[in-house]
Order: sequence, then structure tokens, then C-alpha cells
Amino acid sequence: MNKFAVHTLFMAAVLLPVAAVADNHDPIAKRQALMEDTRDALRPLIGMTRGQVDFDAETVSNSLAVFATTAEQAPSLFPEGTETGGETEAKATIWSDRAGFEQGFVNFGEAVATAQAANIQSLDQLQPQLQGVLKTCRDCHDGYRVEKD
Amino acid sequence: MKKLLIIVVLVGVLAWWLSGPNGLDPDVVPAHSPDLANGERLFHAGGCASCHGRLEDGKPQRDVMAGGLVMNSPVGAFHVPNISPDPEQGIGAWSDLDFLNAMQRGLAPDGSHYYPAFPYTSYARMTASDLLDLKAYLDQLPADSNAVPDHGLGFPFNVRRGLGLWKRLFLDAAPVVTVPDGDDVLQRGRYLVEGPGHCGECHTPRNAAQALDLGRWLEGGPNPDGEGRVPGLTPARDAFADWSRDDIAYYLEAGVDPEFDVVGGTMAAVQANMSRLPAKDREAIAAYLKALQP
Repeated sequence: MNKFAVHTLFMAAVLLPVAAVADNHDPIAKRQALMEDTRDALRPLIGMTRGQVDFDAETVSNSLAVFATTAEQAPSLFPEGTETGGETEAKATIWSDRAGFEQGFVNFGEAVATAQAANIQSLDQLQPQLQGVLKTCRDCHDGYRVEKD
Repeated sequence: MKKLLIIVVLVGVLAWWLSGPNGLDPDVVPAHSPDLANGERLFHAGGCASCHGRLEDGKPQRDVMAGGLVMNSPVGAFHVPNISPDPEQGIGAWSDLDFLNAMQRGLAPDGSHYYPAFPYTSYARMTASDLLDLKAYLDQLPADSNAVPDHGLGFPFNVRRGLGLWKRLFLDAAPVVTVPDGDDVLQRGRYLVEGPGHCGECHTPRNAAQALDLGRWLEGGPNPDGEGRVPGLTPARDAFADWSRDDIAYYLEAGVDPEFDVVGGTMAAVQANMSRLPAKDREAIAAYLKALQP
């Protein structure tokens, strides 16, 4: 192998993973970003239930809209071939128990729709709805996510 | 040659003697009128249902303690027993002494040893009075005649007698952490974490003999379930040092951490149990954890 070929291969080896992370179409990066958005949307709701920020109906509604997007988009971001890489915390069970995994997002979507239909206007209304939503988060993290430090 | 034979025989006799059942004196069973509410609280604190609950879609349920869950481990498969009040398949025929021996000494009613997959190493720190309340609570749950198969363990792990020696070395009901006598909150937190809550069973690394390495108490370790790691709960782990007492109590109540991440893995079931405790119990656990030294 000549020097040029070695150099090219080396550069490709270094740059390819970087390109993969930067690529918007990379499902692992995309689903991680989606989960980050979800977490950010949860932040003010937890703040409200813990009495750290004031209740605000519009914020609640915005957060629920983000959750609904997550429930809708997430299942398609775990295609075959994305079991590993990119520091994924996806568990192998996602692919071995696809129906159960997708049902988890259906449940999540339903809990979010219930909360949206409740037209939350007070903290007292938010508490039980949020608990219903969080239960569906937990159910899925329980079986389909690897716990890391 | 004759001398060697005598030594071998003596060592054998000694090992046999040391590995025998070390049951409680029947006199330790207190006269007791059970407090069912306290029993239920300990049932949740101890997470009984998370292993012993009847299975639905492979997941243990909270209502009937029919057992049947399979826990895979490096030494083989443990089949979680039926602890419902069924007199044949469950523990309905057990005396108070039988129950105390199981929980504090890891002994079956016939004197055989239980494997420490059943965390009696922690439950041993529970008081007799609390244990009898717990028994009374279990006794009034529905009976179920589910027959659970024996553990599927390879040699030599299938020789239960050897566990007697292991217990001589590693079964110790003494508290792990020293907390001030007069501090009721820390005392309560220690009791819940080191006793019924059996937090150390996953959050403390194990030594070569698979016993908890108490020198590295709650410092985290490999996930006994397989993938991933169980996080440390001491201030040595930066991410946890940042959690306030309130953060810990809220996490146990709602399952959301200070980074707004929602609990998962085996901790999801633990958190669901903890959410059923009175708030002051969760606060006591938080106080204890925040008092740990790095």
C-alpha cells in the first residue's frame, strides 16, 4: 500500500465517525437529541411540582406538545443497525421485543393526549397528569434502556 | 500418612460443624401483636414484590407473592420462591421463628441455607418486631399454589452446606456506618438503607467471594443484571455529590433526578416501592446518604 492510500484510509477512519455524529440523518444522534428535548420540556414541569417555579399553563401546554412529538417520532429512530455506537443507551431488548418497545411509546402518547385533553390550568391538575406521563417514561426506561453512571 | 489422614478428617469435621445451621434461639421471638400498616411499609421498603411478585408479561406484580422470577447469575439461575401464604408451595405454614430464621439467618425451616441472592445479609439488620409485622402483612395477601422449580446451579454452587461457611465469614447484622445515637433521622435512614431497603446489595461492589465489600460501601459497582453499572451513592461520585437531600427524596418519590432524567432499569421498581413509603422515610434515606463520607 502506498503512502497516499494509507493516509487516505487513516483520514477516513478518523473522520467517518465524526461525520456520522454530525450527520443529521444519523438515527442515534437524532434520537438522543429528541430525548434531550424531552428532558428539557420536563424540566419546568418538575420545577412547578416541586414548588421551585410558578405554575404556567402555557409552559405546560408547550411541554406536552414536545412529549407528543417524541412519542410520535421516537420509534422510527431505532432502526436495525443502530444497536451500538454513539454512546447509545439503547438496550438489545428494543430489537428483540420490538412490539413491547413500540407499545411503550403508544402508552406514552396516550398519557400525553390524556393530559392535553385535561386542559391543565392549575398545579393540582398538573400533578396527577404528570404522574401518569412519568409512569410511561419509567416503564420504557425500565426494560429498554441500559443504565450508565 | 496416618497423621495426614487424621488432619484431613479433623478439617472435614470442623468444616462440617462450621457450615451447619446457626439458627436463632426460640426465646428471641417476642410476644407480638402485629401492626399491619407497619408491615406494609416494610413490605415496600424491602421491595419484596419486585422479586417475589407473580409474573405478568414477565414482570413481578405487587398483589400476589407467587414467585417464579428467574434471576440469572454467573453461578446459574435462581428461581425466586413463592412466599404467598399457601401452606404447601408458599410460607403459610411457617412459624414466627421460621420467618425470623429466614430473614435474619438465611435459614429454611428445615435448617438448610438460603443463597444470598435472597438478601438476608441486609434483612438481618431488621428488628424482630418489624419482621413479625412484615410476616403478618404477607400472611394476609392472597395465597397462590404456584410451584417454583429448584435453582439451576452448577457444582459446587449447588452444595448448600458450603454457604454455612460463607455466612460465618460474611453474615453480620452490625450496622455498616456509624451515626450519632441521638439523631433519629439518621438512625432511621441507616436502618432503611442498610436493613430492609438492602440498597448495598447492588450499590456496593462485591469481593471475590461475592460478599459485599463493606470497605467500599455504596460506592457503586457492576450491574448484577448484566449491562451497565450501578451508580455510587457517596459524595465520591461527583454527579451524586451535587444532589441535595431534597433531590434524593424527590427522586425516590417521583423517579425524576436533578437532571430531569426519568428513572429506569432495576431502579425503576425500587423507586416505585420507595414512592409508597411515608415522605419522612424517604427524607431519612436522603439524610443518611448525604451524611456518607467520600
